Amino acid sequence: MNPAHVHLLLNHFPTIGFAIALVLFVMALLLGKAGLRRICLVIFFLTAAVTIATYVSGNDARELLKETPDVSDPLMQAHESAALGAFVFMQVTGFLSWIGLWIGERPSRFARWNVRFVLIFAVFSFVLMSRAAYMGGAIRHPETGAAETIPVDSATPSLPREWGVFVQDHSWVWPACETLHFVGLSLLFGVVLVLNLRLLGIGRGLLSVEALSQLLPLGMLGFALNLVTGMMFFVATPEQYTGAFFFLKMSLVVAGALNLLGFMLWKSVERVGDGDDGGLWTKFLAVSAILIWTAVIFCGHMLPWLGNSF
Amino acid sequence: MDLLVRIEESGFCQWVREADSLFAFPGILLLHTIGMGIVVGINGTFDLRVLGFAPSVRLRSFERFFPFMWMGFWINAITGTILLAVNLTKLTHNPDFYVKLAFIALAVVNMRLLRKHALVPDETPPPTTAKVLAVTSIIFWLGAITSGRLLAYVGKSVGVF
Repeated sequence: MNPAHVHLLLNHFPTIGFAIALVLFVMALLLGKAGLRRICLVIFFLTAAVTIATYVSGNDARELLKETPDVSDPLMQAHESAALGAFVFMQVTGFLSWIGLWIGERPSRFARWNVRFVLIFAVFSFVLMSRAAYMGGAIRHPETGAAETIPVDSATPSLPREWGVFVQDHSWVWPACETLHFVGLSLLFGVVLVLNLRLLGIGRGLLSVEALSQLLPLGMLGFALNLVTGMMFFVATPEQYTGAFFFLKMSLVVAGALNLLGFMLWKSVERVGDGDDGGLWTKFLAVSAILIWTAVIFCGHMLPWLGNSF
Repeated sequence: MDLLVRIEESGFCQWVREADSLFAFPGILLLHTIGMGIVVGINGTFDLRVLGFAPSVRLRSFERFFPFMWMGFWINAITGTILLAVNLTKLTHNPDFYVKLAFIALAVVNMRLLRKHALVPDETPPPTTAKVLAVTSIIFWLGAITSGRLLAYVGKSVGVF
């Protein structure tokens, strides 16, 4: 299996998987099924997480195709541009869906607005993702005739390349994003530690597991900061972020998202009472959370030595 | 000055700087990053709690997490000393390095003061003094991270970063 396989496999999640969830979400809203709506929010959130891996695997797939003679590089750039726009909307959908899950079943004005925004962003994500997928398919499928229908203008640089030039021309952007990436890291890691050490029993007499969920938005804020600043690096210099090692980091981020869902949805976590620590499964979840995010830091840090950066 | 060069050129410092091992420079810097995540992360979470985020989390419960924060602090004191030793002449001539040390000193003093003012026995809302200290704490840690990151850009130091 090479990076092209990985990209072809993963691109089904933000397209086909997401489309099915969107249809179910609309049905849940029309029929007033709260349970189904919640399942769709889970799928939206997970799809957004997997889309991070999908997006970065496209970079490796492109490296493979660069040498192939009859593959149009401007078409790949157009696909990358379209994918970036779709990616942004998908991430916003993911964050809004997560907020919906976090609010839970309490009916409130905020919750109603949240559902509306999820719907709007999910529809936009679907449209933009379909467009990106159409362009992606055109790269290697002449039989569809799609390539001829896409206006490709190789004279003007694409959005990602323009961004790369901006970063190159402004020496403050890179160190500023690095600093913010460290700030986000600290916020995320701090919340991960407090949350999971509590599940392991530290401070159980003083801190209820219910109260812990109030810390989650702080962790998500740290993650959002790192997603934005991380994309600044990636979009500006994609050639630095190729290879299995960087992809491992992104896979670990997806694992982190799954772990967070475990914390939010798992009944055995909910049942941890005041003064108690978790059962075996809860502890497994807690230990894996600390290990996953430590491994994410490890992979990020070791990129210059074990990956292809710098 | 002679002493600085002698420390810098000691066998251990040469190994850290030049060895082709992940346990040398990359590993020590990694521990420094993880330590930062622990110290600033737990401290920042506490600061934000004092400022009113996550109101159900009892302030006193942080008493249990402070030992972990100190563990992170000592990881960074040790790894920081090694990172200083391997690059001694350049760092001691870099004004940004002293800015970083000053921010850390202020942040540590601030942390002790905040602990005294915020951890009131009877779970009343934290007093204004505590809130002011929480804001200055965040500013000092952001300053420490920023000046630390900029060490790679201001002046020239060894290694990749």
